[in-house]
Amino acid sequence: MKKKTFSPLLLVIPVIMFLFCATANVAPAKDTILIGQAVSLSGPNAIIHMAGGLPPQTLWVEGVNAKGGIYVKEYGKKLPIKWIQYDDKSDHGTLVRLIEKLILEDKVDFLLPPCSTSYLFAAAPVVNKHGYILLGAEGGAESLTELLKDLPYVFSVLNYSNTQIPLLADQFVAWGVKTVATTFLEDLHGVEYSNRALSEFAKRGIKTVMLKSHPLSNPDMSPILKAAKVTNADAFCSFSYPGENVLLTKQAIELGYNPKVFFGSVGPFALWFRDIFGAKTIEGLMGGGAWNAKTSPAAKDLYDGIIARFGEKGIDMWGNLYYWGALHFFEKAIEKAGTLDQKKVRDVMAKEKFQTPLGLTWFDENRNLAKECHPGEIGQWIKGQWEVILPNNKATAKPIFPKPPWPAPAPAKK
Amino acid sequence: MLVEILDIVVSGLLMGGIYSLIAVGFSLQYGVARVLNIAHGEFMMLGAFITWMLYNVFGVNPLFSLAICGPIILIIGFLLYRTLFTRLRTSSESIGAYEGSSMLASFGLLFIIQNVAILIWGTDIKGYSYLNFGVNLGGAIFAANRLVTLLFAVVIGAAFYLFLARTHLGKAIRAAAQDPATAGLMGVNINQVLALCFGLGALMASFGGTLISMCYPIQPTMGFQYTIIAIIVVVLGGLGSIVGSFIGGFVLGLVGSIVSYWQPGLSLTAYYLLFIVLLLAKPTGILGK
Amino acid sequence: MDIPTLTSKRSLVSGSIILIMFILLAISPLYAPRYTVILLTSIFMYVVLTVSWAIFSGPTGYISLAPAAFFGVGIYTSAILGKALPLPIVICFGALASFCLALLVGALTLRLRGIYFAIFTFGLVEFIRHLLLFWECTVTGTRGRIVILVDQTTVYYVMLAIFAISLLTSYFIRGSKLGLALQSIGQEEDAAAHTGVNVTMVKVITFAISAFFMGAAGAIMATRWTYIDPYTAFNPLLSFMPVLMAIFGGMGQLYGPIIGAAIFTYLEEFLITRFPYHYMLIFGIIMVLAIVYLPDGVVGLLQKLWKRIPGRKHADT
Repeated sequence: MKKKTFSPLLLVIPVIMFLFCATANVAPAKDTILIGQAVSLSGPNAIIHMAGGLPPQTLWVEGVNAKGGIYVKEYGKKLPIKWIQYDDKSDHGTLVRLIEKLILEDKVDFLLPPCSTSYLFAAAPVVNKHGYILLGAEGGAESLTELLKDLPYVFSVLNYSNTQIPLLADQFVAWGVKTVATTFLEDLHGVEYSNRALSEFAKRGIKTVMLKSHPLSNPDMSPILKAAKVTNADAFCSFSYPGENVLLTKQAIELGYNPKVFFGSVGPFALWFRDIFGAKTIEGLMGGGAWNAKTSPAAKDLYDGIIARFGEKGIDMWGNLYYWGALHFFEKAIEKAGTLDQKKVRDVMAKEKFQTPLGLTWFDENRNLAKECHPGEIGQWIKGQWEVILPNNKATAKPIFPKPPWPAPAPAKK
Repeated sequence: MLVEILDIVVSGLLMGGIYSLIAVGFSLQYGVARVLNIAHGEFMMLGAFITWMLYNVFGVNPLFSLAICGPIILIIGFLLYRTLFTRLRTSSESIGAYEGSSMLASFGLLFIIQNVAILIWGTDIKGYSYLNFGVNLGGAIFAANRLVTLLFAVVIGAAFYLFLARTHLGKAIRAAAQDPATAGLMGVNINQVLALCFGLGALMASFGGTLISMCYPIQPTMGFQYTIIAIIVVVLGGLGSIVGSFIGGFVLGLVGSIVSYWQPGLSLTAYYLLFIVLLLAKPTGILGK
Repeated sequence: MDIPTLTSKRSLVSGSIILIMFILLAISPLYAPRYTVILLTSIFMYVVLTVSWAIFSGPTGYISLAPAAFFGVGIYTSAILGKALPLPIVICFGALASFCLALLVGALTLRLRGIYFAIFTFGLVEFIRHLLLFWECTVTGTRGRIVILVDQTTVYYVMLAIFAISLLTSYFIRGSKLGLALQSIGQEEDAAAHTGVNVTMVKVITFAISAFFMGAAGAIMATRWTYIDPYTAFNPLLSFMPVLMAIFGGMGQLYGPIIGAAIFTYLEEFLITRFPYHYMLIFGIIMVLAIVYLPDGVVGLLQKLWKRIPGRKHADT
């Protein structure tokens, strides 16, 4: 029995091996690019995502699929995107686990990022360990940059204190601002921005006369505002998040606190921010950012696209354009690499430059979006529009100084 | 110096007004209906959002919305108690078990209500401007809307006190709070009364929500922090004492104001420190039984 | 013990089942998909929290909302010491730190009963969280810490070990004099004191033991979550979950919390991946339904069903 079956086996085995090896060279039939995203869809962190990354990410996926997909040479055709989203419940532990689920179990081709700086922090090493590209979106910080130097697969997109604050400080010098009252959120964002501001202001001879922190969801900002008022500082800066900045603005109006400059790092760039107060009220209010529909024709397209799909609440005139540009860059990198292989695409992303809605776009040697590609750093509400005022070469309008006093209160109905 | 003291005191009272309202509501729900309602803040959030919606869409004056949101939330609370919590009460073997299971059920409610709110209104921050000008009181400036809030909080509190003291229903509630079994024997329809208490608690939360929406930005996740504050105030004032909760709210507001003046970053820490110290030193609170 | 042979046979059977389960879990990294191992690690974490919680809160009836505090202490110990010391020592330190905190808390809360104890422990978590936040911002000027990543399999085995040890501890306490004392405190605390039980000692020691495992779990889980800050480490939600899971699983039996934790974690995973925009709504509804219709938990339900099987002989518990 054994001898009889032996010789046919001798024939069959090499045939099987040949077939096996032959098929190994041809990529298996593939008809979609599977993109996975673990992001906060519930809990306190979800707020940042809904107006921030979600609209451009949605428009990008839909736009790509409307064209039939991304052309990937390795498969010789356009592959549409299939987008999976998981809710990390605003919990870092869940985020890390879900990212690994996407990578190990769902075997996604690419990842879209979680939102908010601390979540990017948590995701970065994990993603890098598995050799997957992480293209950042909402979030960014100077200490993150330090961490990212050693993580070749992580690309940081949004701008933050290191490009925004020096320009702000220079502008203060140009305006003759000598004193600043600062409040900051007890959070990485607040701490970093205020530290950076302290040093940049000091370098230029601007004195910080008040420095008070506040916790997240601080119930009452009036003690801080009253303390700032007493110092009679030329400028008031708040390095904090939208909720806190809304409350600060609201109470500043009520208390009649009118510094020559009123700056809120996160929040003023949104249309819903304007709607809480009315455009006339926030005339002259400054904030971190920035882009608007006048930045470029491509920016206008994005603006209109978001309004059509999400309404005004989807507009974030700080990050939307950054994320949008980065996603187009990503798309072109995949096309150029001709493959879905992470390493090859990563290498293309690290070295190449592409035309995107941001103009000519590339990442610097630390894989941060190059400063030259930023559509703007600081914005201001001027005549009912959010304008980019800094840097000068990207400005869409001339800044106004000093901020006009808050107008007399409107009657009870809007 | 005098101005500063005035500033701190009045700020504290302004904050305290809101705290008192929600604490009274919570106290009703726990002290009488024996439900440690973790979802209390969510009712407040609903009140706030419905007020915002009425203001934005129909231009309804927020103070008028008190009369609209209030009854809606009252009915919701009443029905919730009649269905969910009564069922739990009748099937629990002991008061302790009932307190535990009702707390957990309210936790489930928190999840449900918050998600529904997000689905309806989205996650972004909302707000509107109402009476947002300053009023000068003896040199210190306060927002008009916050002063109105304080006024209404005191009026509602006083009205409620009179309700409890003078009306038939109020007395039934007090009887039920003291001794549910005996009250039942005396002809009080316990189920109805307890459900009404729970509904009234939710009503208070809703009033708090409407008033808060006038002064502060609102978002769907705002509820929990106020629930925690309600718990702290209720312990401060004495679990089960409604008057204690009312006073306790103002006390906590003052504490917050004093700490904020010195170091805003420590205001929440101070609340919790006060909370745990109080529990260790005098758990029954200022006016507790 | 009225029917000794039947009871010991039953415990032999359940003991062997548990043993087989552990053996399977121990070898699973070798054959199971990598993500399953990760998911299991998360399930183990919740199981440890729930089982530890039940060690104290089960028999005594004192609902503790402090798990987040002890877990968080473990996380922070890992964050602070992780770079300098080897992993096993860090875990021990995390466990010990939580143990000491629990001793302190236990000693302080001697007189607090029932609901006061529960809300005190809750307030404790928030107090530590906010104080640490303020400290980091104002005193050290930083926010958050980075923890070194440890490889997945190591984390899995450590969590499995903590799970096994906590379960064993729970089992032995149940059957011991300490367990009896705990039960008597749960039934009628004053009477227990009168019968010579050192109520204070018993409560404090048991509370500390339960915290020990929570701290250890925190110390090892931190190594998976590179970025730690007070907000994430001391998350009050993490205090409610073990309570829910234990009650959902069923408080009467030893393995009730395990079942509760496993089902809950898996359910959560299912919901956040399949229904990401409705996760809270569905989860909340299930929670409410479970509390209303399963007052004795899943184990209670299973026991009722078991008894319903016709012809089945059952020993009265």
